[in-house]
Amino acid sequence: MKTSTFPTIPRRLLLTLPAVLFLLAFFILPLVDNGLRSIVQADGNGITFARYVQLLTDQFYLTSIAQTIALSAAVTVICVLIGYPVAYYLVRHAGRWSGLIIFLLIAPLLTSIIMRTYGWQVLFARRGFINTLLVQDLGLLDTPLRVLDTPGLVVAAFVHVLVPFMVLSIAAVLQGIDRRLEESAQLLGAGRLRTFFEVTLPLSIDGIGTGSILVFMVANGSFVTLVLLGGGLKTLPLLIFQQFNTTRDFGMASTMSTVLLVVALVCLFLQLRLVRRGGEA
Amino acid sequence: MSFFRRLDLGRAILTAFVVAFFVFMTLPIGIVVVASFTDASFVAFPISGWSLRWFRRIFEYQPYLDSIAVSLQIAFGATALSCLIGIPAAIALARSPSAWASAVMTYLLSPLSMPMIVIGFAALFFLSRVGVGVSFTALLIAHTTVCLPYIVRTVAATYRGTARSYEEAAALLGANPLQVFWHVILPLIRPGIVAGSLFSFLVSFDNLPISYFFGQPGTLTLPVVMLSYMEHQFDPSIAALSTLQLLLAIVGLVIVDRLYGIDKMTMGD
Amino acid sequence: MTDFTRRGLLQTGGLLGAAAFANLPLTAAAQAGEITVTALGGIWEEAVKKAFVEPFERKTGAKANVLLGSPPQWLSQVEANPKNPPIDVIIVTPDLAINAAKMDLVDTFTVEKVPNLADIPAEFTNALSGKGTVFDYGVAGITYNKKTVKDPPKSFKDFVDRTAAGEWTASLPGISYAVTPIMLMWAMARALGGSVDNIDPFFDAMKKMRKNVIFWGGPNDFFNHLSSGEADIGIYFDGRTWAHVDAGADWIDFINPSEGGSINALAVQKPKNAKDLAWEYINVMLSPESQLKFAEMLSYPVTNKKVQYPPHLAKRFTPWQEAHFPPYEEIAKVRAQWVDRWNREVGG
Repeated sequence: MKTSTFPTIPRRLLLTLPAVLFLLAFFILPLVDNGLRSIVQADGNGITFARYVQLLTDQFYLTSIAQTIALSAAVTVICVLIGYPVAYYLVRHAGRWSGLIIFLLIAPLLTSIIMRTYGWQVLFARRGFINTLLVQDLGLLDTPLRVLDTPGLVVAAFVHVLVPFMVLSIAAVLQGIDRRLEESAQLLGAGRLRTFFEVTLPLSIDGIGTGSILVFMVANGSFVTLVLLGGGLKTLPLLIFQQFNTTRDFGMASTMSTVLLVVALVCLFLQLRLVRRGGEA
Repeated sequence: MSFFRRLDLGRAILTAFVVAFFVFMTLPIGIVVVASFTDASFVAFPISGWSLRWFRRIFEYQPYLDSIAVSLQIAFGATALSCLIGIPAAIALARSPSAWASAVMTYLLSPLSMPMIVIGFAALFFLSRVGVGVSFTALLIAHTTVCLPYIVRTVAATYRGTARSYEEAAALLGANPLQVFWHVILPLIRPGIVAGSLFSFLVSFDNLPISYFFGQPGTLTLPVVMLSYMEHQFDPSIAALSTLQLLLAIVGLVIVDRLYGIDKMTMGD
Repeated sequence: MTDFTRRGLLQTGGLLGAAAFANLPLTAAAQAGEITVTALGGIWEEAVKKAFVEPFERKTGAKANVLLGSPPQWLSQVEANPKNPPIDVIIVTPDLAINAAKMDLVDTFTVEKVPNLADIPAEFTNALSGKGTVFDYGVAGITYNKKTVKDPPKSFKDFVDRTAAGEWTASLPGISYAVTPIMLMWAMARALGGSVDNIDPFFDAMKKMRKNVIFWGGPNDFFNHLSSGEADIGIYFDGRTWAHVDAGADWIDFINPSEGGSINALAVQKPKNAKDLAWEYINVMLSPESQLKFAEMLSYPVTNKKVQYPPHLAKRFTPWQEAHFPPYEEIAKVRAQWVDRWNREVGG
């Protein structure tokens, strides 16, 4: 048994090394190099931690950090709730439709974000498609719904581009599950719902974990959707973008990036531990 | 009676949900597709008349064509490179229960959480000073850092879900580790590799904030050209490009299906 | 001190990963007789090729490769490679140009190097401390939908009052758009009695208007707001408005507010250590013939005093004397505060 377990510890190290070194050289070092901007004084001489103090004591920035996490968490939860049934359908029932489903899933990722935003605007504008339908054609409403520039639409737009990651991550794991396990459970008298909750769902927890991590992390670092759709949210990535684009204060941008990275890594580590715990249960 | 018994309520609800889901997914994109066939010179909906003139514009505007080629090269290159270094790492880490493995996994996934504009900006200054400069190589390296996490994570998840017994059986029968990998592990993790590569390809192909910093006359990617184009004008060629990308995706998926079978990617055998 | 630390890290990095790639040739255009110049994509690029690149190549026999992109990208590339800039001529907005001048990334313009500089109003060169000059400009004012706004406001003051009264929904540049502090905050504050040192009139006006305002994230967004009916009016650029009109959107129109809108210019600069041939190209860019051709193709006014516009363009162009050139240096000092205040007070 012992000799057959693949891979052994030193081999494990060897296999991990290229990826670890690659990121060290081309991700960590550039970031550290850039991170030094956050502690260099504005005049270029000497070291200061004033930016970090400002960021971590000012109520406005703390709210922004909380908003960043809340937005990513909300998007992740919604993606799990609507993504799981779709992944399940894709693996178990889609059959010859699976090609079409995959195409429809990745279509948002292939459409320029500017045009996608335009699509939302056409749908939800004050005199747009849906409001015209509700107010003029059907007479259901007296005044048009205000949808653009609300946090709700921002969440919807995030879900729209990120849910494919969730669906495909879950599907990749679901299809690896040995269906005989489910069949045995049913033979032993478990109902289909019970089989699902006690066999299928626990076995696919890794897929949910992967999808959640991808969705959460990507949402945590995105700003373009917020720039284009507004919604009044001031997340950290949006403020970082402002530093690059409007104020060109690279020191502050670097400070915010470091804080964002730390926040994200803590969330990520906790999620990974949680998934492992769940997977072992 | 028998009719009602055969009517599967659970499945009907599921199907209805999936249909509603795809209406949500398709609506904003459908508008873009329709808008790309307009005969007007500006983007507006509903369109005034049908025309293919904005598709012609794509083929007349050389930078669009050149940059599509560059984007494809970078997306394929970064995905291949990510697979090369990512798959071994994913397999090595997937089954270890230790906190150490979680930490390394966290580290490998960390590029996901950084706004890409920061990655691009930092990489530009760093790579310039170590001599890689603004080049195709630099662009490929920077893209690989953000593509890698997708491969690592999806492969690790799929590998963890497969039964260990196959590998053990193969090893007991005398297969060396490379043979075990090639004949046993690789087929098992294929769905993860395909899903991860798909993510990686799409993320790279659609990337603006990194490519932006590495543009050179010969290495402009499509999103950079589109951004530059829209700095001054906003015509339906941008919508037409989106439609064209969708069309290319269909062609790509059909080819994958013919060569390989799409259902293999999403379903067990 | 810190620079030393950074170098140390970089060397480690070089050893760890990049050694294999070191000493690759920086750019393909490194040969003599070839320069890299910059342009925005689409019609803009076509105008650069016709008006600048072709005459330059005819005159010198050299080649000019056009790099598409946008100003912050080009400037970052130059900043990252100051010894061997990958670009020889950059086109930048004045705030970035001043930034580049301060960081000592660009060369000083003189009449000896660029004879046609003599015909550019001195204000445009002085504003950049002589390290570059403005070659074309537009004005940010009021753009509106003629079908829904029958009686458009003629001044910023009128615009603010009637937006606050709910006469329409206005689409204003959002804070994530780079030019917003200038085209909206400074211009509106100035029109309402404020200045760079007193931005309160803008924030007071914004507070009144807020419930009837939406924000655009990029210029195309503004046009979408108008064409989709989400907004009826807003603050936008003249040149882009005319481009939409020429493209067939004849239902929009532009007004330069009576207090005067802000000038939004584009400047040309030569990075330090860029090839000397770049001076020739810049001289062509500033010549009356090239400038006129450029203005005709893009519907934006240019800066050379000798240029005579045909009547249909003269009618559209706002002479730069009727708008205000923003005090970029002073704005740069307070811009971060303005943005911060906006984030806290305005939201959007």
